[in-house]
Formats: sequence, structure tokens, C-alpha cells
Amino acid sequence: MEQVAVVDVGSKVLKFNHALPEIGPMVIPTQMKQVPEDGSSADAFLLENKTVDPVIRGFISDWDAMEDLLKHVFYTGLGWEMGNEGQVLFTDPLSTPKAIREQLVQMMFENFNMSGFYASEQAVLSLYAVGRISGCTVDIGHGKTDIASVIEGAVQHISSRRFEIGGMDLTILFAQELGKSYPLMNLSFSECEKLKERYACCAEDAASYDQFQQSCPEEQHTLPDGQVIKIGRARYTVGEALFQPSILNLEAHGIVEQLVRCISTVSSENHRQLLENTVLCGGSASMTGFEDRFQKEANICSSAIRPCLVKPPEYMPDNLLKYSAWVGGAILAKVVFPQNQHVTKADYDETGPSIVHRKCF
Amino acid sequence: MYGGDEVSAIVVDLGFHTCKAGYAGEDAPKAVFPSEVGSIDQMEVDDTDKSDKNSGSALDSKSKGKRKLYVGSQDMGFRRDHMEVLSPIKDGIVVDWDMVENIWDHALSSYKLNIIYLTCYGAISVPPPNIKLKILLTGRKCLLIDPKEHPMLLAEPCFNTQLQREKSAEIMFEKYQVPALFLAKNAVLTSFASGRATSLVVDSGGGSTTVAPVHDGYVLQKAVATSPVGGEFLTDCLLKSLEHKGLPIKPRYAFKRKEIRPGEFQVVDLDFPNTTESYKLYSQRVIVGDIKECVCRVPDTPYDETSYSNIPMTPYELPDGQTIEIGADRFKIPDVLFNPSLVQTIPGMENSLETLSFVRGLPQMVIESINKCDVDIRRELFSSILLAGGTASMQQLKERLEKDLLEETPQAARVKVLASGNATERRFRVPLVYYNCNRFRLMLETNLSVNTAFGSVGAYWHLLVPSSKCGSPSLSEFSCLSPHALLLQIYIYSRFINLYAVVMTGMKSMELLISNANAPNMLSCSTY
Repeated sequence: MEQVAVVDVGSKVLKFNHALPEIGPMVIPTQMKQVPEDGSSADAFLLENKTVDPVIRGFISDWDAMEDLLKHVFYTGLGWEMGNEGQVLFTDPLSTPKAIREQLVQMMFENFNMSGFYASEQAVLSLYAVGRISGCTVDIGHGKTDIASVIEGAVQHISSRRFEIGGMDLTILFAQELGKSYPLMNLSFSECEKLKERYACCAEDAASYDQFQQSCPEEQHTLPDGQVIKIGRARYTVGEALFQPSILNLEAHGIVEQLVRCISTVSSENHRQLLENTVLCGGSASMTGFEDRFQKEANICSSAIRPCLVKPPEYMPDNLLKYSAWVGGAILAKVVFPQNQHVTKADYDETGPSIVHRKCF
Repeated sequence: MYGGDEVSAIVVDLGFHTCKAGYAGEDAPKAVFPSEVGSIDQMEVDDTDKSDKNSGSALDSKSKGKRKLYVGSQDMGFRRDHMEVLSPIKDGIVVDWDMVENIWDHALSSYKLNIIYLTCYGAISVPPPNIKLKILLTGRKCLLIDPKEHPMLLAEPCFNTQLQREKSAEIMFEKYQVPALFLAKNAVLTSFASGRATSLVVDSGGGSTTVAPVHDGYVLQKAVATSPVGGEFLTDCLLKSLEHKGLPIKPRYAFKRKEIRPGEFQVVDLDFPNTTESYKLYSQRVIVGDIKECVCRVPDTPYDETSYSNIPMTPYELPDGQTIEIGADRFKIPDVLFNPSLVQTIPGMENSLETLSFVRGLPQMVIESINKCDVDIRRELFSSILLAGGTASMQQLKERLEKDLLEETPQAARVKVLASGNATERRFRVPLVYYNCNRFRLMLETNLSVNTAFGSVGAYWHLLVPSSKCGSPSLSEFSCLSPHALLLQIYIYSRFINLYAVVMTGMKSMELLISNANAPNMLSCSTY
């Protein structure tokens, strides 16, 4: 039996594991540090603090770095041997340019010698993870936010949208807000992230957010260097940013309104099916109070049918929504590979990288 | 090399109402967004900060004043003060090339890594508050491709002028530096999408309705008939009719729902005094357009007031929760396509068709068009009438058109109206299929710099309207913009029977597979 791996490449973390949906993925950060090869001391000093991000805003941009990362994933993380690789399923964000997909396939077959490959869109996989084939996904990741509508397993590109706002931008906002109260503080980006993940939350609705702007409960936090800081308004500002993008200086509607507008471009027979099966997934969507706020905003949105969030099935692991694309991939892998619907090495050799567009949807 | 089967070409179709863009070979375009563009005149609003924030819109510096353009349904959906809604296309012809450039930018555009963060990724010292956070929405660009790497296919209207074509080619080659470009007529693309080389294409889109016969892959220019009655016109009719009945349509930005008690909601009106009329009209049109698509259908018999006065009303829920009932208008509005004089009876619209008193209904246009063609092909045209465009996907249009045509042509002509079963296909014309069809290997115009004694110049060909003798396959004539003698580029448009691949390999070398480059007339003879 061939080993099947599922890899979900994100801007911040890479999720991978063998295709076992019950267990959940192993998670490693995608950010890498560049280490000089030859070890000469002159270069080492300059390159020491250079971090490399192979994935920017959801798309793979630095292919060499990606290759190194994947080498680690397959040979060290999964424990595969060189020469005995298995089959792999990758996830793509929305609107992936064709060129990127082709390059990925090429890398898999030529550099890694995989025996089988499949790629699928993250939106579809997130829906599979909660047991649906039609619905909308609102995927709020680190580098990008996707709002996608899927009907019977096919993403309707016309009514899907991609925004380049994500956890990354929220972290910077958080840092800015903290900077207002502590101008001399020097925090690294990862520190800020940790603080954000711990303390950010969403106000119950717009009115209470305004209230919080005036006065709100503050939390105390001890920094590694011993300093104690109070985090007050910044928590709620971060939570509010997705619902009121004017906080991020963007002229756009909040996320629920965007969802409703996207769906309105689909023919109305499908509206109910789509909106009543809305899945909120992605790292940033696991903010405290985000779901409740989303549901509340959904009730007052300007649409006949209100978006309704889907509850994940009980047999799924708890933090499903954070890694839903991976879990969906694991489920799909069990269907695709045994039925030989994937791209095999022979197919690739015969046709070239463009086969990925024909065989993988 | 662009002669292969797997060419990831891009197809762009800029219509009056929507712009469609996508990859060749797929069954639906990836990017569909309104062709209308929002523009804010910079002369009144002097705010230099704004220019940092909106990267997706270009700053237009024309001599008569700067203006900022907003393209795409996301940007257009957001209400801004003083934003006017303008259309680059008037009567089917492009009038504002700057807007068109912005639209193409939005549709294509390379994925730029526009992460302007205040410091490098590794460590950020908390930034001082006076530096604004810059988040650039490059996500607005739809296809995320680099135009330099993809050959482009542009769909153009049948009555496009020489100047328009030249300008399109100029922008494509100079600004986007596409490697290869092909301009194809809408009617021809529709025809090929349905697998036919000869047909009569009835394209009823947003701005106008065009009836064009296509024979062997060429549009018979003299027989093309157009009418200004299109989807937008029908939407306006419906809007005026509803307003007259006292059912105002509130645009989406003009209200907000508030929860006064748990479970109970109330709609509150919002007032934005600085919103322009054109934006209000645009927002209303979006809603009314949706009503029209959901509720309207073409009546089986010509509309008359008395017989339709008692039909049951259909409810429709507006975005603000209000439910309106639509009765006779359901049938009256679509019948305007068949009987434009009906417009006189719609209050508020009596004046719109005054100047065009010779506007004919759809069946009359079809017959007129066919009658202008050669007698031999009329039969074939009658039996393959294709419906294309958004408005043509109205319910019952096909049946009614068939019926009307059968009445008007009593001879033995077999009338068959075809429409793609899939509403999406009909709407988006599916030119994508055309490009990747294996039976066609087109030589594309390539961006060649011809090095001459005068410096290097980009030389490119244009496809001219074939000289048409009614009904007979005409010889295409090609002329080159550049008068240089060193024309080493050949453009052959092959018919679907012959496969010709003359591959131009770009800047470095030119391969002439057809011997005589300087005698285009001989060439065209040889293909027939």
C-alpha cells in the first residue's frame, strides 16, 4: 500500500501528515532561516538573521526554499525514504495562477520523485471536512482571506473572492495599537503574534465595540524581559478589524457583507444551499468570540437568507476548523488515490505539468 | 513557441455590462466583473494620503485633472463620496481607453509582492503612530497572471473600427507586452463555441442586440443588424415602471438593519448626501437587474394590456426585506425586445427611443439580416440561429423567437433556434473553447521588434474586415501597420479545415514556413 501524505501549505504554518483524518495534522511553521552553506565566517554574520518566507499571501513564491522545507517534511517529518516516496495531495488557495500549480507538480515529480500527485482547492476541502459538498467557506488565514462558494464540489469562481488581509495584518495592527500606549516598547513580530493569539477577541456587536473604545477591561501580561504591560483596547480593535475594515484603512465592507454580496452573484436557486452551509475556517477565525459575532452580523445583514454557520460533526477532532483544509484533504485522499484519479508519474512523463489542470479540479 | 496544443492563453471579453476574462480551454471565465468604473475627480478632493492606500486603482493624470478609478465589483460595491459611475463603452465602441486599461489591469495583472511593511519581517519595533498601515489590496486583480507569458485573445464587437483595433493592439503590446495577440469577433466566437462555422448569431447583451451572420468563420459585415435595446435598456424600463407604481428601490448602502429587541429587526434608512446620482442609479440597476433575471419571462404571444391585466403577481424580496409584487411587468418588459414600440407605454421611458424610430424588433432584425445575405446560404442560416448573451438567456425567448420567425417565413425554410443548455455558457459566450480547439492552429500576431536602420520598431499586423461579397467566403486582406520592407511576419488565419502553423519565435529569429512573405495576396489565394 502506497503511503499517502496530505500537505496544506499556508503562509504561516505548514500542515502535513499521512492521510488519517482522525489524527489531525502535524504543524510546522513555514518561516525558515537561511543558514550559510559553506560556513565561512564572513558570510555567516550577515546571513544569520535572514528569515525566508517561501509562502507569501497563500502562494508559493520562493521555490528553492519551498523545496528545502518539503524535503524536511517528507524525509524527516514523515519518515519516508528517498526512492520510496508515496503519493501526495496538496491544497491550493483560491485563484491560484496556473503557473504555480504547474510548477508544484513539476517539483513533486522531478525533484521528489513522487509516484502520485493530486491538488485540490482549499474551499472544497474545508467543506468536505464538515461533511458537505455545497456551501460557502470563509477562510481567514495568515496571509489572505478567501470567500468561496462551492456547488457540488466545484468552486464557483465568479462568486468567490480573495482578499489580502489576514492574521499577519491583524498582528501589525495589534502592534500599532500597543505602540500607542507603549511607544518605547520593542517587540519582535513573533512575540506580537503570540500576544495577539492569546488576547485578541471580538466585541459582541458594533455598539459594544464603541463602548469598549471608551473603557474596557484590561489584561496584564508579563513580557519575557520582565516588563509588565496592560493590554486593553487593542484586543478588541483587532477583533473588530475584520468586521469594519476601515480600522485597517481599507475602503471595503465587513466580512459578512462581502460574503452576502459574493453570493448574490450566484443564481438564486442556490442561495439557500450556499448561505445555510457557511463554514468559517482558518487560523484567524478561531479568535475568541469571532463566531458569535459573525452569526450576529449575519442576522442583520442585507439579504433575504441569512448565512448560517455549520457545526462540525462530533466525530471530528476539536480544532477542526483551524485545519479544516488539511482534514478535508485527508478525506479526499482516501477517495482519490485508491480510485486512481490522481496524476501518476507515467501521466506526468507523457503529458508534462499541464496535466494537473486536466486531472485535478 | 506558441504552436503547441497546450497553450495557456488568456481570453478577455469586454462587454457593455460585464467584462469576462479567463483561461482558454476552460468552460467558464474566472473573472467576471462589471465594466462600469467608479471615478472620483481629484480636483475637488485634495487628499494625498488616499493615494497611498488604494494601490489597485490607478492614479490617472490627465491634463484636465486627476481622477481615481475604481474597478471591479468589490470596489464598485463600496459607496464613496463623489464617486461617479462611468462606462468606457458607448454604442459598442470604446471611448475612454484609460478606463479600459484599468479594467484590463484589474482582470489580468501580475501578482506583485506588494507587502510594504514598515520594517522587515524579522523584527518590528512598534511603529510610531503617524505612519499609517499600508495594506495593499492586490487581491483585487482577478486572474493574477503575468501578461508577458500568456498569449491573449480579445473578443471584439462585429462593428469594431480599424482605429479601435489598432488601439487595442497598441495597448496590449506596449503596455502589457503580451507575446501574441488575436482579435476575434464575438459572433465568430459564439459560432465556434457551438461547433458551427456557419450560423446566424443573435447576441443580446447588456448594451445592445446584434444580429450577425457568420459564414465559414467570417462575419458578413453588410448583413449585421444592431439595435440599442439590450439588457440595460430593459432594466431601466423595469426600474421606471416600478418607480411609477410607487415601489422605490432602495440601494444597498441606503439602509441598515438594527436589532432593537432580540429576534426583532428594524430597517433604518441611512442618508449619504454626497453620493452621486450615477452611483445611486448604478446600485439600483444592480438590484433591478436581479429582479429582471429572476422574475421576467418572455410572453408566448405579443403583449397587450388587457390580456395580461389579471395574471397573478409574483413576489420578490428586496435586500432591505421589503417584498414587492410584480405582475404584468414580468411579461411586458421582455416583450420590448420583440416590440420596441411598447416602450411608449412605460411611463418615464417615452422619450428614449424617439430618435431611433426605426428600431425593429428581434424577429424583424433576424429576417432583415438574412435577407441581406446571399440566397444560397439563407437556408443554412435559418436552420442554425444561435442565441448568445445575458439577455438571450431569458426564459422562453428561444421558443418565442422560433414561433415568430416561423410566422414570418412561410416558405419551406426550416427555422431552428439554438441556445446552449447551460445558462452560464450562453451568458459568457464561451470563447474559451474556441481557442484551445485542436482543429485550429492559429498563427498569432507576435510582438516582434524589427530592427531597421531607424531603430527597432514593433511591427504588428491587424486583421481587417474581409472584403465582403455578400454570402461568399471573402479573401482576408492583411495590412501591416509598419511600412517597413523587412516584414518577416505572416499572419494566416486558417479555416478550420486546414491546419497551418507558422510559428514566429519572437525576438531572436524568424522562421518563414511559407515562402513568400511579401505577397499576401498569393497567400490568401493559397488557402482557399
